[in-house]
Amino acid sequence: MIVVKNLEKHYKIAKRDPGLRGAIKSLFHRKFETKKAVKKINMHINAGEMVGYIGANGAGKSTTIKMLTGILTPTSGEVKVNGIIPYENRQQNASHIGAVFGQRTQLFWDIPVRESYELLKHIYEIPQAQYEETLKEFVEVLHLEPLLGIPVRQLSLGQKMRCELAAAFLHRPKVVYLDEPTIGLDVAVKVRIRAFIKQMNARYGTTVLLTTHDMQDIEEICQRIIIIDDGSVIYDGSIQDIKSQFGDKRVIHFELEDAADSFVLPETLCDITEVLPKSDEEPHLVSLSFSNKHISGAEVIHTMMNHYSVADLTIADAKIETIVEEIYGRGMKKEVQHEEIH
Amino acid sequence: MLSRYVKLYYLFCKQNLKVMLEYRMDFLLGVLSVMLQQFAGIFFVKIVFDHIHALNGWTFYEILFIYGIAATGRSIHHIFFDNLWTLGWQYIRPGKFDRLLIRPINPLFHFIADRLQQDGFGQLFIGIIVISTAMPHLGISWGVLEFFILVVMIIASGFIFVAINLFFATLSFWMVDSLPIVWTIFNLSDFARYPLTIYHKGIRHFLTWIVPYGFTAFYPAAYFIKGSGFERMALLTPVVAIVSCIIAYWFWNRGLKAFTSTGS
Ligand SMILES: Nc1ncnc2c1ncn2[C@@H]1O[C@H](COP(=O)(O)OP(=O)(O)O)[C@@H](O)[C@H]1O
Ligand SMILES: [Mg+2]
Repeated sequence: MIVVKNLEKHYKIAKRDPGLRGAIKSLFHRKFETKKAVKKINMHINAGEMVGYIGANGAGKSTTIKMLTGILTPTSGEVKVNGIIPYENRQQNASHIGAVFGQRTQLFWDIPVRESYELLKHIYEIPQAQYEETLKEFVEVLHLEPLLGIPVRQLSLGQKMRCELAAAFLHRPKVVYLDEPTIGLDVAVKVRIRAFIKQMNARYGTTVLLTTHDMQDIEEICQRIIIIDDGSVIYDGSIQDIKSQFGDKRVIHFELEDAADSFVLPETLCDITEVLPKSDEEPHLVSLSFSNKHISGAEVIHTMMNHYSVADLTIADAKIETIVEEIYGRGMKKEVQHEEIH
Repeated sequence: MLSRYVKLYYLFCKQNLKVMLEYRMDFLLGVLSVMLQQFAGIFFVKIVFDHIHALNGWTFYEILFIYGIAATGRSIHHIFFDNLWTLGWQYIRPGKFDRLLIRPINPLFHFIADRLQQDGFGQLFIGIIVISTAMPHLGISWGVLEFFILVVMIIASGFIFVAINLFFATLSFWMVDSLPIVWTIFNLSDFARYPLTIYHKGIRHFLTWIVPYGFTAFYPAAYFIKGSGFERMALLTPVVAIVSCIIAYWFWNRGLKAFTSTGS
């Protein structure tokens, strides 16, 4: 369904020196810097698959999706979706795909939701009977009834997102791209949206490519994940595999009384645990990663308590979050890619 | 294919009209303010002609007629193509333009159909009133053929406005927002509301062959003004309209290509 070969996207960013002088100079002599947002990625997604596409902010997820939808033309490499090259036959491709882009609405801002759907019906040339049947189903699953008469601009984020989801699936597209569809939503809405996506896939065999930072989304919806880091795919495989491959991995976050900066790993832990890079959100935490085949969590905690005064600690278990954190954090790229090759 | 777009346009319009009626007050105020603006312009011409009988050989009614064609042609642009102003700051910058690219219809069509501008109706009313006032004083007899030609000329005038704005709005694909440029160029059309003969030759050529605003009012009007000496030039109006639209659409497609390769 989706075939991607050696796909690359480089952005040219105009550089200029600060201040007025820089601005004037840049008028005559522009310097460009190339940002490689996506680097030689390959993927092959079959019809009916639901794939989680994950990576840190700026990893290149949205850029990839824009190339798959035809919004962006790649710098090199090729994409085929259902046999069509999206950026060359954009309109033809558009009738077979649906998309939701985070917080940007695809609906018509000023008109009631129902009328938005009516317009989409004509734009996508959906037969009347099919349209009625689909809408009825969506209204039930997503609880849209009370929203249909309200203009999009008056909806709350959660309400809007439910309406967006319905709009993306309304014409029964073969592929749907969801770029952070659950961002900023409360749990109840997320649950509803996940149920809807799964139902669409079960009933119509819709292929789904989903990016999200919520690992719960991934665990519930996807059978397969592709992890992208700094423009390169660093993992592509089933969630099951990654769990068994890294399932023995544990991470413990310690909050120390002393400053985290002065932390030195106790000697006995040196060979079997590893200090993960500090996260930006919680710079005061020291995170240790290890395999429970080599050392037990209790032992790690014990050793740490002997050397430092620990104020608090959290043990992250082998959930997908932890594994992904591992993969990003330790730059396991080589190891994983190596695995993939044979 | 064509009938599909006609139908879609009708459906977009219907929705836009509904929104318009929802804001009835805005609608009335918009129409009124545009009418007032137009009146001010006409009033100015009237005052000038209270003191002189002819301007550079043109009578009051002839000038009024040119003015009327400009207003009516411009109203076509104003009502149906007003969204062109918003390309940079409402579509491309906020990322809303992407939405148009994942729909199975022509993105330019979608972009234009997204909005109907009620204020333009004020201009249309005024234009029609002004034209009908001036018509009997031009020294020609009005038959079916003349009316037909008049309508063609006005539509051509409208599409020249559209083509010029489309051309310069398209620059938004390369720059942050081309609105200031679009605005500056659009203001040049004010010159074209008066007989081009009152201007220096350079300006006249510029408004005829470079930015062809001359064909939005003066030349088409001259067709109906006896002894104007521009009757043959006037016949070029529809040709200029078609050529301008082709150039502007070609340029738009270039812009679109640039957009899809830079993504901003
Ligand atoms: N239009 C653009 N022009 C220049 N750089 C861009 C543009 N869009 C994205 N980038 C850069 O490309 C990289 C990947 O961005 P993106 O695909 O949006 O990542 P993600 O969706 O994974 O957060 C980032 O470093 C981002 O700053
Ligand atoms: Mg993104």
